[in-house]
Amino acid sequence: MSSLPALSISDAVARRLLLLGVALCCLSQANAAPRVELTAAPAWKGWTRPGRTTEIDVRLSADSAVRASLDVVAARQSTDSTVELQPGRVARLQIAVGSAASVDVEARAPSAPPVRRGVSLALSESPLLGVAVASDERVALDGFHALALAADDLPRNGSAYASVDALIVDATTLAALDHRQLAALVTYAADCGRLVLMNIDQRVRRLLDDAGGCGGRFMMQAKSLAEATSMLTASLATSLPAALSPSSIGELARPSPAAWNAVAVSLAVYFAAAVLALVFIPSLPAIVLTSALAIVGTLALLQGMYPRSQLIVWSEGESGTQLARYQAVQRFPGLVRERVRVPLPPQLGAAAQSCEPGQTMHYEVDVTSGRATFAEFETRLFRQVTLCYSGSFPMQRTIAVDARADGSRSVRNAGTRAWPRGALLAGGVARDLPALGPGAATVIDARSGGSAGDSALRTAQTRTRSDSTAALWSLDLAGVAGAPIDSTGWLLVSVAPPR
Amino acid sequence: MSASPARRFAALSGLAVAAALAVWWLGSTRLAIDRGADAGRTSEDVLQVAWLVRALVVPTLAVRVAALAGWRAGAGAALAMVVPAWPVLVLAWAASAAPLWQVVLAEGLLVGAALVLPMVGRGLRRALPRGDAVEPVATAVGIVLAAAAWIAHDRWTFPYTF
Repeated sequence: MSSLPALSISDAVARRLLLLGVALCCLSQANAAPRVELTAAPAWKGWTRPGRTTEIDVRLSADSAVRASLDVVAARQSTDSTVELQPGRVARLQIAVGSAASVDVEARAPSAPPVRRGVSLALSESPLLGVAVASDERVALDGFHALALAADDLPRNGSAYASVDALIVDATTLAALDHRQLAALVTYAADCGRLVLMNIDQRVRRLLDDAGGCGGRFMMQAKSLAEATSMLTASLATSLPAALSPSSIGELARPSPAAWNAVAVSLAVYFAAAVLALVFIPSLPAIVLTSALAIVGTLALLQGMYPRSQLIVWSEGESGTQLARYQAVQRFPGLVRERVRVPLPPQLGAAAQSCEPGQTMHYEVDVTSGRATFAEFETRLFRQVTLCYSGSFPMQRTIAVDARADGSRSVRNAGTRAWPRGALLAGGVARDLPALGPGAATVIDARSGGSAGDSALRTAQTRTRSDSTAALWSLDLAGVAGAPIDSTGWLLVSVAPPR
Repeated sequence: MSASPARRFAALSGLAVAAALAVWWLGSTRLAIDRGADAGRTSEDVLQVAWLVRALVVPTLAVRVAALAGWRAGAGAALAMVVPAWPVLVLAWAASAAPLWQVVLAEGLLVGAALVLPMVGRGLRRALPRGDAVEPVATAVGIVLAAAAWIAHDRWTFPYTF
């Protein structure tokens, strides 16, 4: 009898010890979980315009070394990146996002609860004027909504400059920009963005002079805000050259009909086999078996095909300038219903976005380069998911054209690089333009003209004023890393009419 | 009507329907591909029309053939009408955004109708005292059932509610 209470006490102690152990275990688990801090701030003080791209500046930190994943979701587009966090260090990422009323940012780390932040964006119907100047002076430009910006409000992705329609930057702000912000600003200038630089010194001026697209017509320099405003007002009289739409670029090269041909042939074979089966074995099992074999065969054929993407690039520049603007479309043909993950060309990935706003798209962003490396989306048979890219590249084409009395034109390569064979567009007529070395000249006979035969020439003619001259060349895209085999591109260089 | 010619006629009709659907689907998807448009909408239309056409033919065929040649003949003829379109439907589904369960359910209903409706024909054969009245009555019942399918489809838009 005396042993029973002793047993009961030891049982209670054991239970308490067990509870203590569990508590300590949970405590140690709680201590092991890293604490992740997340802040997210939009560029342009949260302003953007419907259908444009902007940027979210994300800061991530943790109290212990941990690998965190960051998801940014804006409407139907999402991005994810993996960040190696070190204690005491703040990781910064700038993610380009499409315009949406709200953007959700979420950071996840192993054994830590997810941290979420919501970012609200203001969608302006009026054009936006960014004013990044050190003074507190207010600026008013008719029809524009002016935003007073600090250096940190300017984005680091060139594509995020789509949010503003004009920008004034002074020397103080320019000096405060980091190298990624400067690169994005140069991209904006190269993309013919309206930009007024205030009080910049000669050295910077010389550097930026070469960076302005459209012959530098939309990059201006002013000494005061009043002068900057009046220059912008005058500049608004000249409209920006409209970019070629993705559908127009898509028309330059037809999609590959390989999948369609395979499906058509397999259906034809099926119907032939079904008729033969009906003639020789008119039984229900034979009909069912023919159908089943046709389904299996067709699906196996589609699974065995390798869908090749297609890249189409259209670029434009002005003779003698340093940069050409480009717009590109990459088509990804689908064969079966599946979710695919495709690599993006590294030189184009920084400005990748879905051509269709309604398309659900997921991007993987490389933290170090800040560019999208992979895109992931749902596809299906005959579906052409398209990604759009835009930007600029260095160009060296200087064309000297002299109209002669007999109607012919003397064309001279006034640059330092040789040209390949192309086409000369003048007076609504396309003529063959032979390859010319530096300094070489040729005479294009007025009678040698013909109507534009292919879609690239037709597009070039619609992009060239009837009273001006332009030259069209095929682009060699072999140098574009990661470009698909099926890549085509064109460069249209216009010659400014003599003044 | 004996079982074999009825089944051959039904299978030929099924093949003809499937071929017409295939030509329509291939033509419209080719146009969509060339224009850079989405071929999904056309594919969904093809799925819907394929179901509707067979849902109209199956009752008439199943009831009439079963009334004249028995349940096995009726079911065989109805299934021979339904099955030949399946390869086209699988491809159209692969090109559409329609959920798989909807397509499977729709085809399951057709197969179910092909197996059940011949019983109506067999019942008519047994119920009607005059042998020469079986064929017109069975045909009329089949047409009524087809009309019901048309009305139900028109009101309910089942099974493809994309």
